[in-house]
Amino acid sequence: MVGAIIGGIGSVAGSIFSGLAARKAMKDAEKEKRRLKSKLANLEANRQEIINPYEGIQDLSSMISNPFANLSIATGAAEMQIEEADISLANTLDTMRATGASAGGATALAQAALKSKKGVSASIEAQEKANEDKRARGQQFMEQRAVAEAERVQNADVSGREFVYSERERREQQQLDRTASLIGMAETARAQATADQTSAISGGIGNLTSLAGSIFG
Amino acid sequence: MENENLNKNIYLRQFNESNRIAYSKVFVSNASDYNFQLLDNAYSNAGKIYAKLKIAIETNKCQSEQCAVELARLKILEEAPNVSLDFISSVIAELSVTDEPNFDLNNDYRYTVANSLMNGKPGYSKTDGYNAYLDLMPDGSQQMVFNGPAFNAPLIINSSALSSLESANTSLIASTPDINSEMLKLLTEVGVFAANAVNENGELNASAKITEEYVMKNTDGTIDYEIIDIGGGKGRNVFKYDMDKIEKKVAPFINAEVAGLMSSEQDAVAAWNVYISKGTSVEENDQMTQDANAANSSWSYELDLPLQQDKKVLFETKYKEYFMNNYLKQFITNQMPTVKEDAVVFDLAEAKKAKAQKFLADNNLN
Repeated sequence: MVGAIIGGIGSVAGSIFSGLAARKAMKDAEKEKRRLKSKLANLEANRQEIINPYEGIQDLSSMISNPFANLSIATGAAEMQIEEADISLANTLDTMRATGASAGGATALAQAALKSKKGVSASIEAQEKANEDKRARGQQFMEQRAVAEAERVQNADVSGREFVYSERERREQQQLDRTASLIGMAETARAQATADQTSAISGGIGNLTSLAGSIFG
Repeated sequence: MENENLNKNIYLRQFNESNRIAYSKVFVSNASDYNFQLLDNAYSNAGKIYAKLKIAIETNKCQSEQCAVELARLKILEEAPNVSLDFISSVIAELSVTDEPNFDLNNDYRYTVANSLMNGKPGYSKTDGYNAYLDLMPDGSQQMVFNGPAFNAPLIINSSALSSLESANTSLIASTPDINSEMLKLLTEVGVFAANAVNENGELNASAKITEEYVMKNTDGTIDYEIIDIGGGKGRNVFKYDMDKIEKKVAPFINAEVAGLMSSEQDAVAAWNVYISKGTSVEENDQMTQDANAANSSWSYELDLPLQQDKKVLFETKYKEYFMNNYLKQFITNQMPTVKEDAVVFDLAEAKKAKAQKFLADNNLN
């Protein structure tokens, strides 16, 4: 049937068909190679950029402050003490005048009252100072923790980004290597198919010679 | 708009595959003449012409100066058999695409007819009104001409045009890529399966599962299962997957695959028409589910090439959908827990209640 369709001497049609598979294989291999090359180019073009894992690190020194800078002197208590002592003295003196007490008793009373108030004042001041110190220490602790936490988060971020990068890089490299290897295989297949086709054509040349001989002889 | 190629190719395929012609009494009772004798007819006068040229040159009776024209024609004739062999082989190889099972029926139907003729299929003989010629052209090229009842006008293929197309890695007829094997390969490349899920042949194992990295989890790190109703008031856990994460992961690999496909836009059009446009599965296409193929949404080789950017983007989107729906979906649907205790069947109502209670507790809503 094929011989009738193509004509010529019978073996010509045979050699045409024997070369068909090789021709198709060569074409497929070429196509596959082209496809893989485009794929590889896309993979390479879209590879993640190399990152600097330390790029995101910030100077944390601005987060550190002197917690003692704002310590206040407890003058308020002393001022209050003086005012209270004055009032107390005035009131006592008024009472003494009304009851006819001596001047010496009044002076002693005034001194005692003043001394008492000074003692209270010192106690309040000491408490306020202690509280202030505690607040300062608390603030210092809190800031140390805040800095430590920020450092921890940053370290984690850096490690995470390094991990993500290396993982992606590893997988993408695998894919690139695999695609490149497939291109090599496609090239080998193409070369083999070309050789097969050449062989088929060479086989057909003898037949062609006969054909040419019959035509031009 | 009626798609002539689609309709005629469907008819031709059905005609060729149906064995219907065996029941045609007219066909069976008459001889079928397939003696197209392409080479014999093409070279029927070549011997005489060759002899004339040879004599003219040898006797110095050429019409052109220094026999330039005669020598050129002689050279063409001497090379012609080789060209014929290569050309016929090339045409047959090109036409054979129409026999591929996933052939895009939007290709020019005349090639399907020509292939039937070249393969001597019943109904395409000289007796049936068909004919084919090989012509040797003065410029050294050759042409094959096909005509007959199925052709509106003769189909002509020129050897130098075909050779030039082949050099440019372009085919006369688009061959539809083997989407199934491409997608199966892609599954192993997208990086959502464990490395040991791929066997030495580069294929996924039957037991391959998506890695736990893509499984949804609760805030406390436990797996957030989806409860499915298996009937009878019973339920069981199945994995829920982080689809955003999976899609982000697979996207670059799909894009690269599409870029590879786009290295031959005519093949991409074939893939679009046969599979991608309507998400037609390989099985549906094999079963010739005509409605499943692109039909009205198909792209035309004549009008849509080169593909515009919007079509390329659409192709990429639909290709991704195709991959997700037809290939990856089976690995994210009804996947049983790997932990034995979590895989047991349980009372559905109680499990739902417990899950709701956990949600309330986790979100301080009690």
